[in-house]
Parts: sequence; structure tokens; C-alpha cells
Amino acid sequence: MAKKIGVYVCECGNNIADNVDIDRIIKTISPMRNVEVIEKYRLLCSEDGKEFLRQSIRDHELTHLVVAACSPKQHEHTFMSVCVTAGLNPYLFQMANIREQCAWVTPDKEEATDKAIRQITAAIARVAYQEALDKRDMDVSPDVLVIGGGIAGIRATQVLASPDRRVYLVEKSSSLGGKVKGFDKLFTKMESGSALIENELRSMQGDENVEVFTDSEVDQILGFFGNFEIKVVNKARNEERDFNVGAVVLATGFDLMDINGLPQYGYDKLDDVYTSLEFEEMNVPGGPTGGKILLKNGKPPGSVAIIHCVGREEKGYCSKVCCMYSLKFARMLKDKLPEVKVSQLYSDLCVPGKTYQKFYEETKSLGVEFVRAEKTSVSQNGKGITVKYESKRGPKGDLAADMVILVPAMELADDTNRFAEMLGIPVDNEGFLTQEHQKLAPVASSVEGVFVIGCAQGPKNILESIVQSEAAAGKILSTLVPGRKLELEVKTSEISETFCTGCKTCISVCPYSAISFDDSRKIAVVNEALCHGCGVCAAACPSGAARVKNFAFKQIYQEVEALLK
Amino acid sequence: MESNKNSISVLVIGGGIAGIQSSLLLANSGAKVYLVEKASYFGGNIIKWEEVFPNMECATCMIAPKQQEVLQNESIELLTLSEVEDVQGSVGNFTVKVKKRARYVSLDNCIGCNECFDPCPVEVDNEFEEGLSKRKAIYIPCAGALPNAPVIDTNNCLRFKGEDCQLCQEACMFEAIDYAQQDEELELNVGAIVVATGFKTFDLTQTTEYGYKKLNNVYSMVEVERICASNGPTEGQIVLQNGEVPKSVAIIHCVGREEKGYCSSVCCMASIKQAHFLKNKIPGVKIAQLYSDLCIPGRIYQRFYEEVKESGVDFIRATVSEVVKQGTGVAIKYKTEGGEENTLNVDMLILAPAIEPGVGSARLAEILGIPQDEHGFFSEKEPDLDSVNTVREGIFIAGCAQSPKDVPDTVAEAEATVGRILSLSR
Repeated sequence: MAKKIGVYVCECGNNIADNVDIDRIIKTISPMRNVEVIEKYRLLCSEDGKEFLRQSIRDHELTHLVVAACSPKQHEHTFMSVCVTAGLNPYLFQMANIREQCAWVTPDKEEATDKAIRQITAAIARVAYQEALDKRDMDVSPDVLVIGGGIAGIRATQVLASPDRRVYLVEKSSSLGGKVKGFDKLFTKMESGSALIENELRSMQGDENVEVFTDSEVDQILGFFGNFEIKVVNKARNEERDFNVGAVVLATGFDLMDINGLPQYGYDKLDDVYTSLEFEEMNVPGGPTGGKILLKNGKPPGSVAIIHCVGREEKGYCSKVCCMYSLKFARMLKDKLPEVKVSQLYSDLCVPGKTYQKFYEETKSLGVEFVRAEKTSVSQNGKGITVKYESKRGPKGDLAADMVILVPAMELADDTNRFAEMLGIPVDNEGFLTQEHQKLAPVASSVEGVFVIGCAQGPKNILESIVQSEAAAGKILSTLVPGRKLELEVKTSEISETFCTGCKTCISVCPYSAISFDDSRKIAVVNEALCHGCGVCAAACPSGAARVKNFAFKQIYQEVEALLK
Repeated sequence: MESNKNSISVLVIGGGIAGIQSSLLLANSGAKVYLVEKASYFGGNIIKWEEVFPNMECATCMIAPKQQEVLQNESIELLTLSEVEDVQGSVGNFTVKVKKRARYVSLDNCIGCNECFDPCPVEVDNEFEEGLSKRKAIYIPCAGALPNAPVIDTNNCLRFKGEDCQLCQEACMFEAIDYAQQDEELELNVGAIVVATGFKTFDLTQTTEYGYKKLNNVYSMVEVERICASNGPTEGQIVLQNGEVPKSVAIIHCVGREEKGYCSSVCCMASIKQAHFLKNKIPGVKIAQLYSDLCIPGRIYQRFYEEVKESGVDFIRATVSEVVKQGTGVAIKYKTEGGEENTLNVDMLILAPAIEPGVGSARLAEILGIPQDEHGFFSEKEPDLDSVNTVREGIFIAGCAQSPKDVPDTVAEAEATVGRILSLSR
């Protein structure tokens, strides 16, 4: 079919007309190949301008459209809508920016006009090779898999579950509640962690839209956003369950860093040197000491040193919550043993936000000692313990303590990386899972439809974990709407079966894990449901097999050639 | 996008990053959103920042695509120059009165060509630029502000002062300027409300020891953001008042922390970011950070700190007692933790102020019927457990309106409000 390209030049009031010779543009462009019509208009984005454009597309039975006006950021959307109402596929339209890139920046009118002519010529050359593309959508499952039954997983489940959305909550241990259920007190209100968990579980109890799997592991996650196939295995009963979900929430929590590699703290060698989690356990009423704080010799300690930031240097990050729970420990100690001497050995106090400093000041006023210590070591001294400390421009010294509580760095729970691998989420330099965007998409992972929340995303406190679980729920509730299809990116990548050599370069560079390898045909295949059309694969492909729709080499070369001619 | 039969309408107060993110997610779910912004532009504080930590992305570039999405989303009605005046009713059925001040410029006709600025004879300080540059009485606060249309400042416009000036109207080719435009009162019916009114910084003129507004070349961190901004008053040229490039800079952390009684969470990172920026822009510049405790929580911030430190920035744990004039710069007298007294001479001093609740929070709290805490931030329903919820069912809070926080935490809260709102209707 013959190409009939319509070119419309917007005067933008006087904005373009004053600085670009539009009549010369028309004279130069109109004899060009395939140009059916070229006209100018005072303001194309106005209501009458759009109507004029719509009518003109129909009257001339145009096959392609070029608008020379402002930045596509401003009005590409507007003119694409005009195409749709005029019956022209909106992807057969190209904009030439002759305002921001010519009229407003090139002071010499002749030069600005020359430049505008080149831009329009390039748009004409390109548009002739553009393809009609169609909007696509896909059926999706609104259901959600939540992995990890700690506070983050529980809260996400609660917010998500509804009569038209089933939530599967999978926990590998025998009960829900994660680490929080083992905390006797939570900062800042010093209420019970187990009571919080019981309360949360009570509100979930009997909810027919929630299915809880304990003693269970997620064995398989296949598929993509909207359509994941899940296999869960109950390890205790050796049972298997398969189901489909639209989204996956990873809430696998944290572990403390293994501090056996840090001998300076005397852990596991000296009596009465504990990790923070061991101290938490000591305080639980049903724990080994019945909730009493006791030394190995069965006596209560007269002095306790709490050493912050253990392993921070090795990890290369601040674990965010340790300062606050160290203050909490001081409160618990003072509460149970009013005469006990508590020393906090810290390097930088991290008590961000509107409420924490007050908690710190109150704790300090109980007589808790704060010692600046950038470096510490722990050694046996007769029956007691000596803690040596120093800081660069501050004091140096040592103090005696009956008990030492070490506050180790937090790291991802053991099996988080297994899920990262299963889901294809890359791991960053610090060992955490890559986010879709560090600032603007904190709970979305780089794989669409997979959310990482709570301490699985990075160290954080209970409140922040809860916020993140609600955030993941917000993202899921706004995109996986029951009964609604998911609109997909139109300008996706495609890989030519003929040219693909199976080198897998594209698979390694795709930021969305949208490309997989077809073992039987030995070629890379794009999943159009996951592809965002970023074009990284097209740039990386050594054989020219990968291309993004409407960013094909031919289109780009035509455009560049016309620009430079 | 087809709308969901169960969808509700939501009022979002505040057009910063939190309000934008809430609005976009809600609209995508099928909800109708009214995004109310007090200023003539939206985007909030973040559009003042040239670059944001730790990846040093251009903030305007980061947020502009989201702003475009808001402007193009038919389910979102952006109401600029607007403030909430009254809220009645309860969750699922709030009646909200919004006062929309006249812009005197038609958003339908204006194309943002700025032709009206030049003829305006009035020049006043540009608040957006912290008074570091001038603007006209018809103006946009900075290049790139959205919506891309000016506003007439009736306090300074000659016509609104009774003179017969219509120079801007004569300059406009699109009949966009309408002096007869009236303030409007809108009544909205919404099912839920998101409060995302953000923050302002501590008023540094309340301090006496740092020489702010008394000595030359002592700046607030916000002023420095604008000085560094390529669309700012100096187009990104970092120069002293005498026109010379600074050879040494000090940044004092925690200004106002003692007065406020809390840690503002983000100032350490922002200070480190400014050091990073200055080091890149001014080769060889000496930078010292005077701080008490470094608060760089989470998985990525420490690496940024270490990189900046290694680039030659000096970190000194210090209590500053006094700043005095020293040549064209200042002398900072401080005490180290070990008790040693020292003086540091620098060409330029930057003060990192505490973060406070946004302007008008008290009035809004009253209108909404939600309490404020002792610092004036909106109170969450349950401290430590439920930060995006308030005691009034159906009203949620996100971002710095609740407590100082960084962009990722703000965005997470905005998304959390959406989670809570979309699960309300069950």
C-alpha cells in the first residue's frame, strides 16, 4: 500500500512561528517522497487544533502522521489520542520537537529553520518504517503467595486477603510469629512481642481467604507477574500442594551475623557473653531462666556492658535498629534489676525520627552509662570480664562487667538467597536483593510482581516492616484487580529465531528477567508480559537478533541518516 | 483504564513525592483521586534538590515522569493553589470543602511560553529560591515547575494593588490571562483521605551561635541545594558572595536538634551528599563535617559515607560553640569529644537544619480532627505499630507529615496508605 504521510507544523502561537520560518519548512518538505499533505496550524494542542488534525487525517486517508511541535513529553500523549479517534494506529505517528530543540534554543532564525527541517525530515524517514502496534492485555490471578510468617508476612496477608483474593502464607517453622514472638518487650512502649503476634493472629483466625502452611517450604516458583505457578511442600507430612498466584511477597526476615569469626569479643569462649537474641530469650517468661536475668553461676549480674555495632565494619552497613533495642535492653535490665550498672558502648547513636531520642534520654536518665567506643574487645579478668574500648579523638579505657551483651549486625535469613535465585532477582554488593528503584520503589524487586519486605529487604524495625508489608499490599491491590486484565507494555523486545545464536548475552543483561532460554530450540525467548521495552538486550545482542518494537535498526538508521544528510 | 465497580474516591493532601505516589497507585486501582496542593506547582520539597543520595540522581528528572503521569491520568484531578477548609462525615463518606485560589491564568489556554514575565515591572524575592533570586509578580517558581503555567501573586501585582497595569495580558498570545478569575469553593465527596503535607526546615534565624543571616557566606542546606541547582539562581555556579569559588567549606550537622528534641533522620546523609556534590564541582575544595553522631541507617548508606570520606572529606566529632567573622569567611570554634578546643577557618559554612512539620499543620489537624504530637507532626494511630493510620478512621498519613524520613521510607508509607485504603471496602 502506498504511504500517505501527513505533516503538521504547529506555530505554537508565536513561540515557533516567530523563530522558525514555517513557510520555508512547508516549501522544503512538501515535495518529499510519501508526503501527502503538509499544513501549519496556530495551536495544534487546542481543542480546535485537535479537531482539525482528526478531520485532516480522515480526509487525506493518511497512513502515517508527523507532528512538528513541542517536546513529545508535553503532547505526544495528546496526539496519540487524536490518532486513535481518527482511526489511525497511534504507533504510526512521530513527533519532531521544533520548539524546545529549535525555536527556543537556536537564536538565528535561518539556522533554527534548517534544524527544524532536518528534524522533520528525520521524523518522516522514520515514521515510514514504523509498525502498527496493538495494546495487549492478559488475564491475571489476583491471589498472592507470602513467604515467611513473621510480623511482615502476617500483616501483608491480613491486608491482602479478601473474598475475591486468596492469600497463601508459607512458614518453614512449625508456627507463625517469626522473631517478634520471642521478644518479651518491644521498644518504645515496652509491650510484649508475643502478645502483639497473638493479637495479629487472632484477627486472621477463621479467615477463609487465608491459607496458612507451617512446616512448609516453597519448592518452586515458575512463571511471571500475574501468573506464577507455585509448589509448596509440607516437610512434616511430606505433602505437596500446587496453586497459581499473581504476585509473590518475600518476607523471610533476618538472622544475626555469625560472630564466631570475631574472636575479640570472646563469644562462645567466655561465660556470660551473649548475643542480643540470646538475651531476648533469657527474658521470655517461658524461657530457660523463667524470664530471670542470670549469670551462668545462677546469680544476677551487678554490671552489664552492651556492645553496639558488632560486625558492622565487616558487613559495611549500619543495621539500623540495634541502638534502639540496646536502649530497650537497658530498660529491661533496670526494670528487673534496679541496682544493676548498665554501660552502652557505642560508636554513633542512631535514633532517627520523632520519638526515639526521647526514649534515649529517658533511658539515660535511669543512670545508664553511654561510652563512646569505636573499637572494643572483651577478655576474662578473674571471675569477671573486662571490656577495653577506645575511639579516635575521644577517650580510651576499660570497664569491668559481669555480663556482656553483643549486638551483632543483621543479615538476610538463610534461605532468602535461594528464593532470589529461584525468582531471578540479582543480589547487590552488600548482599541484598535488588529493588526496582532504590528511592521510588522500595518494596518492589527488580522482578515484576515480586515484592521484598521487612528485614528480607534490609535491616529495619517492626514499624518499618509493617509499613513495608502494607506498601507491598498497596502495590498489589492497585495492579492485580480481581476481574481486570493487566495492560502490557506495547513496545516490547522481540528476538528473531533465525538470527539468535543462543549466546544468552541478552539473558544476562535483562534487568527484568524477561528473557529465558528455550533449551529445545537453543534460542533466547522474550516473555512479553515481563518486558518493559528498555532495549538493553537489543544493544547487547551481538548478532542483531534482539530488537525493540518501533526501535528497530532500520527505523533508527533512517532517522539518523535523514538528520545528518 | 476501566474503573472498578467497588472503587472509591480519595482526597490526597499534598503534592510531594508521597502524595504523588499515593495518587498514582490509587488511580491505577480504579479510584478517583483529588490531589490537593497548596502551591501553584506540585512536586514538593524534592524538586528543590539538584541531586539525591546515594546515587546522585537528578531529583527533578527522577520525579518528572511521575508528575507527567499524574497530569495525564484522567482519574486524578490535580487541584493546585488549593487548601482543605472543612471535612465532615466519616470513612466511606467524607464531605470535603476545598478552597481553590484563582491563578488568574487559564490552565487550558496557557502553553507555558513565559512571554508574560518580561513585561511585568514588579520584582520581588523568589521564595522558592530561598530569596537568592528575584521573580516577577506573574511567575513560575523555577524552570521545569509543573503544571507549566504561571500564577499571579496578587500581593505584589500592580493591577491588584489598584494600578492600571495589564502588561502581562497584552504579552499573552493565547488569552490565558484572566484578571477576573475568582477563587472557587469546591465540595468533594470522598471515601478516604491521605495526608501528605511534608516538611519545612527549622528556622535558622532562631539560632545565634552560627552567624546565620549575620555573617557572609553562612548558608542553610536548602539554600545550598538551590545554589547547586542547574535551574537555580546561580545556574549551578557555586560562588561566595564576593564571586570567588570557595576553597574550604564546613557543614555543621544537627542544627536545631537540641531545640526540637529529636533526630531528623536524613540530615547526615544530606550533608554527606552535599560534600560529594561540592567535591565534584570544585576540584581540590576542602570539606569538614562537624557532627555528633552519624546516623546513616540501612543497607546502602554507609558505603556512600565511606566513599565520600575516602574522597578526602574530614569528619570531626565536635560541639560548635561559636562562629565568628574571619576575613571574608568564618572561623568556627568547637570542642572535640576529648575536650580539646579548636578553631576551623573556612570560606563557606553550611548549616544542616532540623526537619519540622509542614506549614499549616496545626490548622489542618483541627480541620481533619486528628491529633498532633508534641512536635507538631500528625499523630499516628499507634506509635511503633501503625504509623500510616490515624485515630480518625479513613484518614491516613504518609511521609514527613508523620515524622522526618527519607524518600524510600516516604514512598513506602505512601504505598502503605494505598494498601490500607484499598482494603477498607471489604
